[in-house]
Amino acid sequence: MGGKVTCTLGEVKNRADFIIYWGGNPAECHPRHFTKYTLTQKGKFVPNGRKGRTMVLVDIRETPSGKAADLFLQVRPGKDFEMVTALRALVKGQPVDRERVAETGLTVEQLQDLVNQMKAAKFGVLFFGMGLSMTRGKHMNSAAVLALAAELNAFTKFVAMPMRGHGNVTGADVVLRYTTGYPFGINLCRGYPRFNPGEFSTVDLLVRGDNDAALILGADPGATMPQPAIEHLARIPTIVLDPKVTHTSRLAKVHITTAATGVSAPGTVYRMDEVPLPLRPALKSPYPTDEEVMRRIREEVLKKPAWLPATNGRAAIA
Amino acid sequence: MPELKIVKNATCTFCGCVCDDIELHAEGERIVETKRACSLGESWFKNHTAERLYPDALIDGQPATVAAAVEAAADYLYRAHMPLVYGLSNVTCEAQREAVFLAELIGGVIDSHTSL
Ligand code: SF4
Repeated sequence: MGGKVTCTLGEVKNRADFIIYWGGNPAECHPRHFTKYTLTQKGKFVPNGRKGRTMVLVDIRETPSGKAADLFLQVRPGKDFEMVTALRALVKGQPVDRERVAETGLTVEQLQDLVNQMKAAKFGVLFFGMGLSMTRGKHMNSAAVLALAAELNAFTKFVAMPMRGHGNVTGADVVLRYTTGYPFGINLCRGYPRFNPGEFSTVDLLVRGDNDAALILGADPGATMPQPAIEHLARIPTIVLDPKVTHTSRLAKVHITTAATGVSAPGTVYRMDEVPLPLRPALKSPYPTDEEVMRRIREEVLKKPAWLPATNGRAAIA
Repeated sequence: MPELKIVKNATCTFCGCVCDDIELHAEGERIVETKRACSLGESWFKNHTAERLYPDALIDGQPATVAAAVEAAADYLYRAHMPLVYGLSNVTCEAQREAVFLAELIGGVIDSHTSL
């Protein structure tokens, strides 16, 4: 996501007077997003809190988040890309075709009204969720809303931010980026990082049966992935690190129980706006942390002869 | 009664909001109170205890020591031509860094939920 025009949630709280949630349901999935960061807080430049802000919800159906919204726009399923593209044209004052806009389930007037409000905002922010980034169009949809936010900066301040899911997925992106240069799906088989989504992404690799061993930590693909991928995990030696014995543990060769992140394991996690925060665990676990087990596995591997002579078994990173 | 331990400004990692203003009250092996957490955060904190509910490790479904499991894991990963390191969602950045280090060492693929 190079060139993302974004900001921190602190800036949203203190400045944003126009907030769009697209393809996400924060009321149920990120319950404190409204009250802690975006809508109801009084900010330095939004002294009236909720009254000083406008919120728009774009989704394929009205979710409980709709109750918090000033305006709800119902887009037809799978037509997000078309809607963003029409908005980008209207932002630039380009003509749009009425019939093609109608296919999105909305009218040109509705979209023009939205564009007018976006341009009139002092500080606009567009949060987009998995309803946008995981449906038809996928990363093309994400790229389109990021471009929309960037282009609006010719008129006013506008930013975009993905609504990231549970745990430390944001941290995974950040750590992989600063260690390898790429955010996910990185192949180190040649001793240097190669990035090619679709080729080196987990589901594709497993469905093709490319991997001959797997180490799973902080995830339970045995419960969430497509069946052919799960079957391959059961065929190869799979190793699982998890605080619980998971679905994946049951089909694995090796399971190691670890302390629960944030509850009994300390460390750092990233918030969705890529702000790192320290954990303050309240309990002491009888199990080792994921960090410790990973270190021990690494030390065990280091005792063996290097497979890549040039590096003498010593990795260049971390 | 076990002693009550209070942790101020604790961090919830259940969703991407990562609220860091939670006040946790812990009694012995469990968290009994989660001030300012939402209902999702509350059940996340209360669902995880420090009890010993599972064996330290399992090899082929049989209880084993961590040391034996670590050794078995290292063997499998070392012998593989194209091992996969996957997940990284519910772990700390420190553990993620270790995962990158290991993936490079074993010449594998490293990937997270983001690729789904
Ligand atoms: S308290 Fe609720 S909103 Fe905050 S991080 Fe936890 S689950 Fe998310």
